[in-house]
Amino acid sequence: MISVGKLARTGFWILLIGYFLLPMLAMARFAFQTIPTFLLTTENVFQGWGFGSLTVAFQDAGVIKSTILSLQLCATTIALTFFVLVPLTTYVEVSAPKLKPWLTGATVATWLVPPVALVVGVAATFRQVIPSFLTSPFTLTFFYSLWMLPFTYRAIDGQLRLIGAKNLFEAAQSVGCGPITFFFKVILPNLKSSLYISASLIFAAVLGEFTFASLLLKQTMPVYLWSFQSSQARAGFALALLVMVATALILGFAVARMRKRGLNFSATGI
Amino acid sequence: MKKIRKFAPALIVAAPFVILMSIFLIWPTLTTIGKAFIHEDEFSFFNMARAMSGTYRDSFITTAQLSLITSLIGGGIGLLMAILLRSLPVESKSRTLADSWSAVASQLGGLPLAFAFIALLGTQGILTKVLGAFGIDLVELGFSLTGLAGWALVYLYFQIPLMFLIMTPAVSALRASWFESATSMGANAWQFWRSVGIPILLPTIVTGFVLLFVNSFSAYATAYALSTGAGQLIPLQIRFILQGNVITGEDELGFAIVTWALLLLALSLVAVTLLQRRVSRWTEQ
Repeated sequence: MISVGKLARTGFWILLIGYFLLPMLAMARFAFQTIPTFLLTTENVFQGWGFGSLTVAFQDAGVIKSTILSLQLCATTIALTFFVLVPLTTYVEVSAPKLKPWLTGATVATWLVPPVALVVGVAATFRQVIPSFLTSPFTLTFFYSLWMLPFTYRAIDGQLRLIGAKNLFEAAQSVGCGPITFFFKVILPNLKSSLYISASLIFAAVLGEFTFASLLLKQTMPVYLWSFQSSQARAGFALALLVMVATALILGFAVARMRKRGLNFSATGI
Repeated sequence: MKKIRKFAPALIVAAPFVILMSIFLIWPTLTTIGKAFIHEDEFSFFNMARAMSGTYRDSFITTAQLSLITSLIGGGIGLLMAILLRSLPVESKSRTLADSWSAVASQLGGLPLAFAFIALLGTQGILTKVLGAFGIDLVELGFSLTGLAGWALVYLYFQIPLMFLIMTPAVSALRASWFESATSMGANAWQFWRSVGIPILLPTIVTGFVLLFVNSFSAYATAYALSTGAGQLIPLQIRFILQGNVITGEDELGFAIVTWALLLLALSLVAVTLLQRRVSRWTEQ
């Protein structure tokens, strides 16, 4: 005799897994099966499957160009974030722990100003004061770095605490090691895994970012994807699915690595 | 001189961060808020009043409804997931899978997610067709991906895992001994959660709901892809005005709408902090 509670529980999980899985499967079917939905019957479900739509996507010059731009933005954002965040977070952890609540508060401030609101402000300021600044797509780097701060800060700060940066600094000082040598020879090598995690989080986020790029009219991959799928629906959906799988894999590896180091992934950065 | 030498390293390491924050976050935000209160070169509430009237008011209501629905349903399901998975050890396969999947899904949003639901439940969607074969006509039932129910269904895809991620650390922190002492006194699981578990978790639950609300209120890409063009949601209204801001006066309206949205988000986060203090006082007693 199966209990009602167990039945309800099983039902809950089945519904939930179905909810998360079905949209992905539907998208895959649309992208990789050439039969349109209205012609689909129980007889031809297994016909017309293939990866032709991905070939179409990768032969499109716009797809290649916008993907390169998105990858470049990933690189510039990672570089800027490390430059801005790593020395500061280390300094606060080691020499100025009193400033920590302020730094944490500042990094989550991005929750108060969503991208779509920030872009309005950007249009109101930069467009009037230094219009040329917004013409380069690499302007996005600054906004992406800002927008990812809650996540990257948490990853780096957590690791610094985990390795006991403060004690390490005292030990380094006692053997006559200066702060700059300490930073490059002790901190950076020890932060390797959280830097890798931060870079993965940035990579996954920037690869899919649509709001800033679309509103500031920059042809990054997601923005191009939107116009591409209106003429090449199947290829567009195939590309979107590929991006989603790639993002999921990158994020999944980053999270698995965080769990292994005893760091918690916080989806909010708070 | 000594003071300067003492603070020089702090200034050098803090400068890039302060510059980034001031130029790219604080300056644009303050400018927007300032400009929202200026009409015909004078201080006035004209724009703010206009942003809360007519279609814009309706948009605020629709967006708030959507955010409330998805944070309540998403929050409830996410909480239930965290509670049901509590008894599993952290290293177990299902826990690892649930944790990693939630981390990924909470960040999926944007175009691909919208595409996936269009392929499933759009007018040419596969599930629409399958349900049709069983005589269930979604359109006749009033369901559409460009309506409140449709948006909510899509938004839940990132809201549920987000709540799960917020709740999991708090739920695992509940001590097993509390559960054991409750059961040894004859309480069943339901009674335990009602009188012990949920009250202890309340601060985290409230925080989770508000963060979900904010998350849904700010979502742009998914809304954009689902409603193609000007929609009835605030993020889409903002875009509409931003692109048409050549018309004089319309940009002022955009500033006012953004200012209202910022005010709402700030208020909800302040409310969280206050509520948390209140609740933590209750639970301490």
